[in-house]
Amino acid sequence: MSEARQQSSIVGRPVPRKEGRAKVTGAARYVDDLTLPGMIYGATVRSTVARGRIKNITFGEGVPWDELTVVTARDIPGANAVALILLDQPYLASEFVNHPEEPIVLLAHPDKHLVERARRAVLVEIEPLPPVFTIEESAAKKEIVWGEDNTFKSYLVEKGNVDEVWSRDDVLIVEGEYRTGAQEQLYIETNGVVAVANADEGVTVWGSMQCPYYVHKALIKLFDLPEEKIRVIQTETGGGFGGKEEYPSMIAGHAALLAWKSGQPVKIIYDRAEDMAATTKRHPSLTRHRTAVTRDGKLAAQEIEFTVDGGAYATLSAVVLSRGTIHAAGPYYCPNVRINARAVATNAPPHGAFRGFGAPQSIFALERQMDKVARALDLSAEEFRRRNFIREGETTATEQIIREKVDMAGLLARAFELSGYEEKRGRFARENAGRGKVKRGIGFATFMHGAGFTGSGEVFLQSIVGCEASSDGRVHILAASTEIGQGTNTIFAQIAAEALKLDYDMVEVSRPDTASVPNSGPTVASRTCMIVGKLVESAALGLRQTLQGAGLLAEVYTADEWREACRRHTERHGALKSFSQYKAPPDVVWDDGKYRGDAYGAFAWAVYVAEVSVDLVTYDARVEDFVAVQEVGRVIHPVLAAGQIEGGVAQGVGYALYERVAWREGRMANSQMTNYIMPTALDVPPIRVHFEETPYPYGPAGAKGIGELPMDGPAPAILSAVEQATGVAFTHIPLMPEDLMKELGDARD
Amino acid sequence: MRLPKFAYLAPRTVADAVKMMGDAGWEGQFVAGGTDLYPNMKRRQQTPKTVISVARLAELNEISGDGKSGVRVGAGVSLTDLIEHPVIVRDYPSVAAAARTISTPVLRNMGTVGGNLLLDTRCNYYDQNYEWRRGINFCLKKDGDVCWVAPGSQKCWAVQSADLVPLMVAIGARVRLVSTLGERVIDAAALYRDDGINYLHKRHDELLADVQLPALNGWRATYKKLRRRGAFDFPVLGVAVRLDVERGGAVRAAKVILGGIAPAPVEVPDAEAALVGGSLDDERMRRAAEACYVKARPLDNTDFVMNWRKQMTKPYVLRALEELR
Repeated sequence: MSEARQQSSIVGRPVPRKEGRAKVTGAARYVDDLTLPGMIYGATVRSTVARGRIKNITFGEGVPWDELTVVTARDIPGANAVALILLDQPYLASEFVNHPEEPIVLLAHPDKHLVERARRAVLVEIEPLPPVFTIEESAAKKEIVWGEDNTFKSYLVEKGNVDEVWSRDDVLIVEGEYRTGAQEQLYIETNGVVAVANADEGVTVWGSMQCPYYVHKALIKLFDLPEEKIRVIQTETGGGFGGKEEYPSMIAGHAALLAWKSGQPVKIIYDRAEDMAATTKRHPSLTRHRTAVTRDGKLAAQEIEFTVDGGAYATLSAVVLSRGTIHAAGPYYCPNVRINARAVATNAPPHGAFRGFGAPQSIFALERQMDKVARALDLSAEEFRRRNFIREGETTATEQIIREKVDMAGLLARAFELSGYEEKRGRFARENAGRGKVKRGIGFATFMHGAGFTGSGEVFLQSIVGCEASSDGRVHILAASTEIGQGTNTIFAQIAAEALKLDYDMVEVSRPDTASVPNSGPTVASRTCMIVGKLVESAALGLRQTLQGAGLLAEVYTADEWREACRRHTERHGALKSFSQYKAPPDVVWDDGKYRGDAYGAFAWAVYVAEVSVDLVTYDARVEDFVAVQEVGRVIHPVLAAGQIEGGVAQGVGYALYERVAWREGRMANSQMTNYIMPTALDVPPIRVHFEETPYPYGPAGAKGIGELPMDGPAPAILSAVEQATGVAFTHIPLMPEDLMKELGDARD
Repeated sequence: MRLPKFAYLAPRTVADAVKMMGDAGWEGQFVAGGTDLYPNMKRRQQTPKTVISVARLAELNEISGDGKSGVRVGAGVSLTDLIEHPVIVRDYPSVAAAARTISTPVLRNMGTVGGNLLLDTRCNYYDQNYEWRRGINFCLKKDGDVCWVAPGSQKCWAVQSADLVPLMVAIGARVRLVSTLGERVIDAAALYRDDGINYLHKRHDELLADVQLPALNGWRATYKKLRRRGAFDFPVLGVAVRLDVERGGAVRAAKVILGGIAPAPVEVPDAEAALVGGSLDDERMRRAAEACYVKARPLDNTDFVMNWRKQMTKPYVLRALEELR
């Protein structure tokens, strides 16, 4: 890249966020800021029982029931099923309930206070059925609570033949079992929607969401209406982290059903307790590893059994499982791999999308196992990894040939240098031998994260992005990809401005509204920058081509010349629009039947180093320092990108050491921020973020995906550091003081 | 969750406030900062029909006196103002330090000294929204018949969870209670009772007007709080110690109070006896910590498993004593 080009570049510069000013000044309008004439307020009556048959619903005394809109399953005009992957989850339970907090009755009234009182007056009598709460109980088919065998989905990945390796006499075999807990997304803004619905106008929903077209699809089925009768508009959204990927389809349906029946606009906003208890969380997991290594420290076989708890309904478990499966063998080359993966049903509220989407679970297990194998070989954790890092031309577990430039050893060296790993590792070992009650440790994790939908997902999605130039030369990006705090609007504008060599301020991003933007796919899977951003780039270039093809614009042009060209073109031909649709990069081939091939167009690669202290008196483990080194292609916006990493690491610290969902009969017992313990500013270490930039040819301006990556590495890195501090190789998260006491206290007494 | 409807009264004087409470009877409730009451009302744990605000009463918002004579702290003084008050900082650093461990800066701006001293007892089965509590058929403390912490128990085991309480009891603070019948001043220790429901020896119509910190005459005190995070959490164990030390270094008197483990602050006489009579050496400290460990019997009704909380008693008592050594 030339010097001059670099200086003029908009990509790579920390331009102000597009919606930043409105957010800071309070001008940004979130869903709860929206009020429509005649609007009434909705509430949800939920099951308090994990599993059972609804016997009776009583509407108690003291409530003017004739003033309320009451909706049950019988009022649903179309299909009583949330359209996602399967159609198994009802909007409202009619006969059976399968988890606590399952919606049964909807209520609405103009008086918010009355509707809450009414909710308390509805008594649902449920005859309990025996529930299943753990992966083991579900896998053992203690009760069949879903389908024929409690299994939402299973995958088998086979590479080479692991069975031939176990009996070889030149290998060492190491086994391990690893567990991860549920985790709540804890976006700042809780789930909420406003709906208008009637036979004339159809259904319109405004809400806090990641994926307007998921909601659109779900409402078509729920109301049995043609797609043009359904309109979904994203309001300013205060965070998602996956928690607003599938759930908005549920709450939007509820509000729309109430609106349909009442003939009035309906608003439903969950409070924090309802949001935490009733909406999705990260899938708990159980992973078993069996690894064969040669004496010189090369992986010979990996057999991985990966199981996730999907809760009561299928939701997105199949695809969460898929991503977890594909990441389960990590950034290492191994000739023989078998991964048996399964998502099972329990009677907890359905687990769902959460940043990382299955990968944090399987990567946690893998990285702990890699440490364990290294120990068995008497190699350092880093040396064992260096001998096995995947390189260009080698194949992953799904036999995807790595064609991009990858240098895990280089990232490792950089991360070690920035963190002072080797010096600290030695020093802590010496200091820990002393009598001090506070022990220190440093550890790391090496991992990758694929960007975009898995396998053929992107091909099925057929995402489309539009760009429109108005007569004043301003460029409007039309996409359903949402700004949820991560910077979509800003990077899209940067990408388009860069492609057209226009000022950043000349580009605007239209509000996602299914009536006016094409379906650019869901805002998930680290795909917004790499996949959708590329479509933004090509749609923007399409505008230029049109103007140049019409002879209105020269090869090189000024902003004024661009404006003039746009003006003349719109005068002659009307709206100037350009659309771009996803096409897989060449050589990306995926076989869904064999679960083999190019799982992702590109991976982000990373090495994270965590330093911890463990107080052997209080058993308190704290992260003291953190270094995150990653290669994510070209960085579009350095401040937003670093923010993504810092936020992900903080969430990862919570996942590893703090955030425990207390389950009581399938119900969340700590659905409050007082006792669902997420790390606060005082608990998050300094996070030093470093990007290595290797431009990816098929990403916009060379960028890859970034959003989920930082969720994967912290937990295994932190537990590796705890292992140095305590000498105990813990295998589960969250790792709470009680757990440390159990291990270390016994050992000391 | 929304607040139920209620009448809100804002009296201008203490005399008016207690009269209003007399009129409101059992349906009345004083409020100052509201950081405890309003969330509880949203969850229908408390459902007063009349809420009488004492936040703006000038009489309750003063800090007067100094360490020589003792200090009177109005119950309506915000925790932030307490922490920042020059006399408190200079003469009662342990009080400022304990108050600083309460919740977050924002909540300390609203929350008051009186509110903390009267904080409702807490329990995992009680501090839940209405629907959650209904799902377990409620509990003994509110709307139900069963204590889920100790089924079969006739007593409520909700936990004393305010950080100032163990310290005020340990240092021998006194509290002034005002009603239409007059006023009385009692030891802070006498304010609390070991019952999660009726956790105060205070008549419903009495207003906590101020807390009186004893004069400094050689005693020192400290408070250690166990919690998971560096900020924000309720205590799952609190250790308050006051020591009166003679010139020669011998401990003349000791108070050791544990918080966060029972419906009331728990005094540990065996620990106090172990500390008195000689200088604060390792052996005395160890015996005091052991006595506290034996006495501490947390139940499974706050965050974290009870064994961890019990085990933490010893090191936290030692840390408190170490600081006073």
